[in-house]
Amino acid sequence: MALPPDLRPHTEDPTPRRPDPQRQFPGESARDATSRLAMTALLMDNGLITAAQLEFALEEYRAVGDPLCDILVAHGMLTEDLRVAVLCQSYGLQQVSLVDDELDPAIIALLPWETSLAWHALPVARDADGVVLLAVARPLHPNALADIEDLLGCRAEQLLANRVELDRVLQAINAERLTELSINNLRDTAPELSGHIVSTPAQRGVMAFGVALVVVCALIWPVATMIAVIGVASAIYLLVSAYKFSLTLRALGTHLELDITDEHIAMLDEHLLPMYTILVPLYREGRVVRHLVEGLGELNYPRTRLDIKLLCEADDEETIAAIAELDLPPQFHTVVVPASLPKTKPKACNYGLMLASGMFCVIYDAEDRPEPNQLKKAVIAFSRMPENVICVQAKLNHFNQHQNILTACFANEYAMHFDLVLPAMAAAGSPIPLGGTSNHFLTEALRGLGAWDPYNVTEDADLGLRLHRGGFRTAMIDSTTLEEANSEVGNWIRQRSRWNKGYIQTWLVHMRHPFALLGQIGPRGFASLNLTLGSTFVLLMNPIFWFLTTLYAFTRMHLIQQVFPGVVFYIASALLFVGNFIFLFLNVAGGLHRGDFGLTRNALLSPLYWGLMSWAAWKGFIQLFTNPFYWEKTEHGLDDPNHPPTVRMRPTRSTLPEVAMDDLLWGEREEASA
Amino acid sequence: MTLLDLETNFRRSPSSDGVVQTQGRRNPDVPRRRWESLAVFAVFTGLYVWIGEWLVQGAHVVSFVTLDQLNRTLMIWHNSPPKLSAVGFNYPPLSTLLMSPLTIVAPWARSLVIVPLVSAPFAAYLMVSVNTLMRRVAVPGLLRAGVLVGLGCNPLFAFYASDGASDLVALSLTVAAVSCLLTWYLTADIRFVLLSGLTFAVAGLAGYQSLVWFAVSFVGVSVVLSRNGAREEEIEGTSVGLAAPAVYALALWVGFSLLLTHRPFGWIPRFPSDGISFGATVTDTGRLVLDGAPLAIVVLPALVVVGLARRDSLALWCAALVAGAIIAPGASSLLHLTASPLAMRDALPILLFAIVGALWLARSLAGSRLTVVGLLIVALVASVPWTYSQMRTFPRQNLESAFTSALSSGASQEGSRTKNGEVVGIDTEKAMAGWIRAHVHGVDQILTDNAQTYAVMLLTGDPGLFLDRVDKSDGPWMRVADAPAHTVRYLLLSRHNTQDLLTQTYPAAANGTDPSLPVAFADARYTLVRVPADYVRPVTGTPDQTTSGGTR
Repeated sequence: MALPPDLRPHTEDPTPRRPDPQRQFPGESARDATSRLAMTALLMDNGLITAAQLEFALEEYRAVGDPLCDILVAHGMLTEDLRVAVLCQSYGLQQVSLVDDELDPAIIALLPWETSLAWHALPVARDADGVVLLAVARPLHPNALADIEDLLGCRAEQLLANRVELDRVLQAINAERLTELSINNLRDTAPELSGHIVSTPAQRGVMAFGVALVVVCALIWPVATMIAVIGVASAIYLLVSAYKFSLTLRALGTHLELDITDEHIAMLDEHLLPMYTILVPLYREGRVVRHLVEGLGELNYPRTRLDIKLLCEADDEETIAAIAELDLPPQFHTVVVPASLPKTKPKACNYGLMLASGMFCVIYDAEDRPEPNQLKKAVIAFSRMPENVICVQAKLNHFNQHQNILTACFANEYAMHFDLVLPAMAAAGSPIPLGGTSNHFLTEALRGLGAWDPYNVTEDADLGLRLHRGGFRTAMIDSTTLEEANSEVGNWIRQRSRWNKGYIQTWLVHMRHPFALLGQIGPRGFASLNLTLGSTFVLLMNPIFWFLTTLYAFTRMHLIQQVFPGVVFYIASALLFVGNFIFLFLNVAGGLHRGDFGLTRNALLSPLYWGLMSWAAWKGFIQLFTNPFYWEKTEHGLDDPNHPPTVRMRPTRSTLPEVAMDDLLWGEREEASA
Repeated sequence: MTLLDLETNFRRSPSSDGVVQTQGRRNPDVPRRRWESLAVFAVFTGLYVWIGEWLVQGAHVVSFVTLDQLNRTLMIWHNSPPKLSAVGFNYPPLSTLLMSPLTIVAPWARSLVIVPLVSAPFAAYLMVSVNTLMRRVAVPGLLRAGVLVGLGCNPLFAFYASDGASDLVALSLTVAAVSCLLTWYLTADIRFVLLSGLTFAVAGLAGYQSLVWFAVSFVGVSVVLSRNGAREEEIEGTSVGLAAPAVYALALWVGFSLLLTHRPFGWIPRFPSDGISFGATVTDTGRLVLDGAPLAIVVLPALVVVGLARRDSLALWCAALVAGAIIAPGASSLLHLTASPLAMRDALPILLFAIVGALWLARSLAGSRLTVVGLLIVALVASVPWTYSQMRTFPRQNLESAFTSALSSGASQEGSRTKNGEVVGIDTEKAMAGWIRAHVHGVDQILTDNAQTYAVMLLTGDPGLFLDRVDKSDGPWMRVADAPAHTVRYLLLSRHNTQDLLTQTYPAAANGTDPSLPVAFADARYTLVRVPADYVRPVTGTPDQTTSGGTR
């Protein structure tokens, strides 16, 4: 379908002529042009920027349409204070400093806190005439001002404030409220879906009954009971393995991710791109902050449309100081999460989400290196997906996969998971346990879902399932984020034990009311959820079966022969010899499917890696009873600086599909912009 | 864009990272036609099952190798206790395991209606693979049908497709694996390498000879990648992807063999020398090709010429496959790896790879595609009467002549003799099994050497009746053979089979002439004797325990 003429992208003209900055730009209103010219004159006349900086800013202004000053500040060409001064002069407004003033809580309370956060507007004083002085980040649109005045019940006068200061003050005055919400929102609104208790009394009763039953039966019929237990375990093993195999085979035969080409990205009209919030939870990551900022700086998205929340814990002075040292432009917001329990990543994300101003939001970890076009791809993906798709998951890979055998095995596992398993699950409409990073959301929908569960240590997986239960869906896009593969066994075990603990925790949460769950997501979804989370139980069972097999091979112990009769023996044998091979082969397939040929030989070492996985699974399982909400911190920055990254980003396709992007995208974008 | 528009989909100029294959997405390929594949599968399965049922039930032309394998699978399910180890090391494991679902229902196994089902679906799957390959090389529908009919009516192929020969299992999978690699060559899509690797692994454990074509293909993949400019890393990774399944499968089998028999390579068959010289082997190989697969005489040189003249790697690869199929039987014979050297069935792989090669020629000589396929059809049709006549006279064969006699006369071949001098038919086994079913009940009542009396065991449908060498392994079995009283009630012996361990122990009883072991039932091939409660075996020699084969 052809694009509407007025939205035809400028990239269609191979040699665009540089517009005369003294004239009105295409698509620019006369009023905007006048305003821009005045601003340009002000900046140049006062020597605040160079001609080259102005040229650069005008190029972006033409492409994006955001205020010139905002563009300059976002690119570090103008300080925020100068921006405020220029705007004050330009709009005839007064400036207000929020650094030292103690604000009157009664005045602040005049405006509902949600409105304050939404408009970045804060009542700071009332003058003798009863006019409320309102600190704002930028001059408000008359309609917005009118709305605020309605809420205040009086006239308001705008005072321009430094955005960084205003942001800090807004955070400070709402800290208690935001903390309370970030911890208890889900717990209060949907307690049955919150992991604040590991298991319900009913679940504990069922488990106790089951254990007692097994013990009693084992005392009365020891061999028969062992046969039954092994039979059930083998059946679970078989089902989980068969499910994973079927998924990967399906993905191996087709390309299931949503493909977005270079042409799609080139056709995007950046004027219409929405604000995008990036949440980056940080804890003791001071040494990687600089890399993080550089990585985010490479994102191909207008900086003025980015709302980057660097989420720090209040006691993490190292990271806060490292951020402050960088003197970042105001699209970077340092969000300090007050000390409170549980001190988890999902709580920090919830905190950041409540401050988010983006229409979309995404989570990246500190060490992530997202593909530069990922945000644009996500925007396009959302526009092309059905309305119930509120989450888009990008693929993950590692930039240090060749560092050692552990990182290579990790990369092979990710290749299988993100290139084969998840795309197949998404295509099948199954509930997807999200990866911990690079998941993009519609912000309002995410808030509506109750966001992340702060008590769940795999909040990503839990959110993916909760999202599915809410009738929403997740899609996969063919865009990759590189992250750091754990290169040290101890660190790897800690991370993986948390994942396994979280998977069991998540399973317990969602299986509190199994029949309700079945009704919500149907038999296929129910089976998929259980088989996906059941992989942890398989990891728990592995060492037991390995031990029994080894013991039997060396001793031919009659008891072992007795407890593996007929069909049970056949299933167990098939799993041992065929199942293990299949998983090994799928690791090979994942690496090859992704084009990581150098990793293939390491896939043959997968059985050793499974040993580590089982070790971590048992650690997590035990911790579920001893310290269920403890967040095993993964240390980042352990990649070898002498071992340069060798992983390539898979290039975006440059082939146009037969059907061009439909007009819906543009229509939706117009609405969003409006 | 179709497959024919492209020389190959390998990137002419490798991408910046040197990768010449495509990953993670699909390249142009022929559209799937599930209904066509299903129709081909259904037609040929039905045809071969129909022929097979007539062969087994009407003409009594039954392969005893198949009966042995079926009996082993019956023991997997219905022995007391069920025994996976019944698979044994005599046959490639998957050739037996893949037929095990057929014996889940014991009455079906007993009635032998399942015999054609061992081979017919695999033969039909082979037809589907050939048909899909023809679609990939753009052979029009009518000509595809001609090729399928030409191959399907080949009497040698039809016989092995109908008679429950497990050879078809490995062959069909090998052809599918090779077909995957040809598709990989056309599409440069790496997933076909993975699928081929998996298929080769299964084929290798279903028939060890498949490993020859796996080795040829392994080299072929590396050569193709290298010629397309792939870097070492890509060649290594792709080769690992292709080889990993087969290597794992072999390693597993070696490990099993080591664990259970302490002979890691004990599964590789070794047979006494039959005294055939190298010169005679070459001559016999020539006759095998001429009588069984004359198409290869034309196709092999044509592939070499086209491969060299057009620098067509795939043509040379196909030539290597055909050459491997021609050389392998003779090599097996010279290395004493086969009990029936240069048998007529060895012509089957030659025939099939010659067809694959001819199809590649049709694709390579695109301007003459229809002519090449037309000639292929003519050759296939012409070879039908030729092969039929050679099956009657070829000196080294199994039941081929019995099959042709049955076809020409329409009569049962019960009691007739094969070219190897073996008696055709299963009436004696049926009679013995019938008596046992009527008179013997319980578990482990009959001591027998299952390696020789498998047909009777199968036809009873109840291996639990027998105390055989699989139940508790040879050691305990020999102890019972020495002192059977109080443990079993009967001994089942084969009358004229010197390989039967029990017959070696009780030669007089096998003939029905041991007065202390009264005959319960006997026929031309078997004797069932009662074991009195006070029976004590006179001290004599120890039988030879090295026999474990299942052929008759």
